[in-house]
Amino acid sequence: MGKDGSASYIPTRLDYAVKWAQKNSLWPMPFGTSCCGIELMSTLSGTYDLSRFGSEVVRFSPRQADLLLVAGTITTKMSPVLRQIYDQMLEPKWVIAMGACSSSGGIFNTYSVLQGIDEIMPVDIYVPGCPPIPEGLIYSILRLQEIVEKGLPRKQMHKLTREEARNAMNFRQAIGESLFESGETGATPSGPAEIKGETR
Amino acid sequence: MSDSITTTEPRQNLSDFYNPNVLVNLGPSHPAMHGTLRVMCRVNGEVIEDSTCEIGYLHRAIEKLAENKTYHQWIVYTDRLNYCSALTNNIAYVMAVEDILGIQVTDRCMWIRVICMELSRIIDHIICVAINALDMGALTCFWYLYHWREEAYTMIEAMCGMRLTTSYARIGGMSYDLPDNFDELMAKFIKGLPKSLDDVEKLLTTNRIWTDRTRGVGKLTREQAIDLGVTGPCLRASGVDFDLRRDRPYYTYPELDFEVAVGLNGDVYDRYLVRIEEMRQSLKILKQCMKKLPKGPLWVEDKRVFIPNKQDVYTKMEVLIHHFKIFMEGIDVPPGEAYNAVEAPNGELGFYVVSRGGPKAWRIKIKSPSLLHFQSFETSAKGSKIPDAIAILGSLNIIAGELDR
Amino acid sequence: MSVAFGVIRDRQDQLFLHLEQTYPSHRVLRDKIEEPILWLRSPDELVPMIEALRREPATQFDRLSDITAYDNIDHVDGPKRLIVVYQLYSLQHHTRLRLKIAIDQDESVPTLTVVWGAANWLEREVFDMFGIRFAGHPDLRRILMDERFVGHPLLKEYELEARQPFSDSLPVRIATGFESPEESH
Repeated sequence: MGKDGSASYIPTRLDYAVKWAQKNSLWPMPFGTSCCGIELMSTLSGTYDLSRFGSEVVRFSPRQADLLLVAGTITTKMSPVLRQIYDQMLEPKWVIAMGACSSSGGIFNTYSVLQGIDEIMPVDIYVPGCPPIPEGLIYSILRLQEIVEKGLPRKQMHKLTREEARNAMNFRQAIGESLFESGETGATPSGPAEIKGETR
Repeated sequence: MSDSITTTEPRQNLSDFYNPNVLVNLGPSHPAMHGTLRVMCRVNGEVIEDSTCEIGYLHRAIEKLAENKTYHQWIVYTDRLNYCSALTNNIAYVMAVEDILGIQVTDRCMWIRVICMELSRIIDHIICVAINALDMGALTCFWYLYHWREEAYTMIEAMCGMRLTTSYARIGGMSYDLPDNFDELMAKFIKGLPKSLDDVEKLLTTNRIWTDRTRGVGKLTREQAIDLGVTGPCLRASGVDFDLRRDRPYYTYPELDFEVAVGLNGDVYDRYLVRIEEMRQSLKILKQCMKKLPKGPLWVEDKRVFIPNKQDVYTKMEVLIHHFKIFMEGIDVPPGEAYNAVEAPNGELGFYVVSRGGPKAWRIKIKSPSLLHFQSFETSAKGSKIPDAIAILGSLNIIAGELDR
Repeated sequence: MSVAFGVIRDRQDQLFLHLEQTYPSHRVLRDKIEEPILWLRSPDELVPMIEALRREPATQFDRLSDITAYDNIDHVDGPKRLIVVYQLYSLQHHTRLRLKIAIDQDESVPTLTVVWGAANWLEREVFDMFGIRFAGHPDLRRILMDERFVGHPLLKEYELEARQPFSDSLPVRIATGFESPEESH
């Protein structure tokens, strides 16, 4: 077998095997800041056991985790810290934005809250809810397992401006066409996004 | 600045390399999910000589939002303050607004609010004890106690539809009445939780490892506690017999028979004991409340705040207009101010509401207990080791949502 | 009623009368739930007044509950711009008192850290949110916002959505002892 696995005589099976192993052993790095952190704790505890899905070990070190679960509001003071944690994780890594606050700022559209962590990093799954109930988080982990299996790339979400949001005529336009394009298999997750500049 | 490692002279002797002072950062992202706080300790060997706490990593401008949202819209934000016991925050805020309006809620509403506050006291103390034990390696208590938290969540979900961020209280009443099966759920809870508490006590209270790790750690003397403005279980553990439920009673607390747990030493062990005892007393209160709960109207008969039944809203015209005015324009609160404090699980949670008339508040200040507790950390952690600092942080029950608001 | 009733109500009434008699030149009001509010005439009166209130057996206010402020931009509470509010509590009588001082934006208020250690962070927060300086505070710098933040958020002219993100975190300084107040912004 060649170094990059290309000359192997069972290439697809190896690929499949690796992805199967990855998806069933996603070790989360819980980045719980606020209320969603409490629901995350509920998900990790006995009643809604997250370790059934492979997340047996909750690693609080970014270097040993492959899933960053951002649960809670991320403020502008916290965002360099979050970005540093994301950078410290090794590839392949996935990001789940749990809850409304990390997806889009949630109910806090204020001077100190980041309106969604996708301003500073690419996100794979957004979990709606304030906070999402544990079944919601488990559903998102299952969807993430599908993404890992298919190797879907992380698309930079097209953030609508106020004008576009007001003028969108249907749901598809409102959330952007790009979300409905079929994902190509075999592509690696997209690279890190730049942090937006200092002033707005 | 006192950090002595910023030296630019070249190191000549071997003794220049010997620097006992190391800065250890317990950063904003750290295990056991205490929330986003940052503690920078100057450590000599393993003993913390000095520490600085930095907060603000979860400052969401909730107080500024109060000036832009109507009184009802802001109830949602109060859940996110002390998210471990959201019901207490809702009720404390709504009490303050009702004071300005001069409304006296109905009996049934008062009893239901007391039930909510005591239930949220239990679940907050469960989190505190469980996480404190988890930090020190006693993971079993986390599993034992969390089961009861889920049972409490089931009850709260039956009451208002949401587990954690409840937004249950409304100005003048509650959003929904208690469900029909509430008596059974509560009876099961009251019967089952003491057994779990006994299990946890068997594991921890006389455990040599636990007492070695928590006795004498993080001591706050009586004078220090009062000077630093600490309230709640931490103040009672330091020997000050002060409980707002008994000393400045509100709602139906004068009719309830309960005791206040007071500790002796003010260390982590006493705080743990005070919390366990408070949970038992809260169960006692809940038992009495369920017996004494009166039937009757839930909402006060005041036209300014009354939120009508949805059936009436959909069928009668005047009721629809009334409903529309309350929610679109907001209730009209007369000018004035009020400070209302309740005995939240963490301490004295106060809302200072300043109103200049109109549907939106002029200023709301949230007096959060966690801010003063975290300030006391610098005093109580001096001279202890790093693992002790983790134990102290766990026992202070610092909720970042309340700390930074 | 959520307001204190029975014995506590009587004590609050007595406190109100006592304050009216002892400080006839100060304005003593009552808020919506009949708790007394004492208006101070100038910031210099603060520390002596607090010491007096602490010592007198009739009042004995030995615990600080809260320090806050609010913006008086519409001048309903007087000609000055900011009102600083102190909430006091008496552990002996279980009564509350609110002290208020009206100041302009460039005036400074003496610090209460000499009386209670709890005032340290509370005053830092008031400085952060309103820009009110506390003279004699050991370490007056921003507590909730980043230190490079420009402006004071809770003033009415600051917009709710005006974000100022920074791309790195500032290092934390350990300040031991009483050093000179920070000059920030």
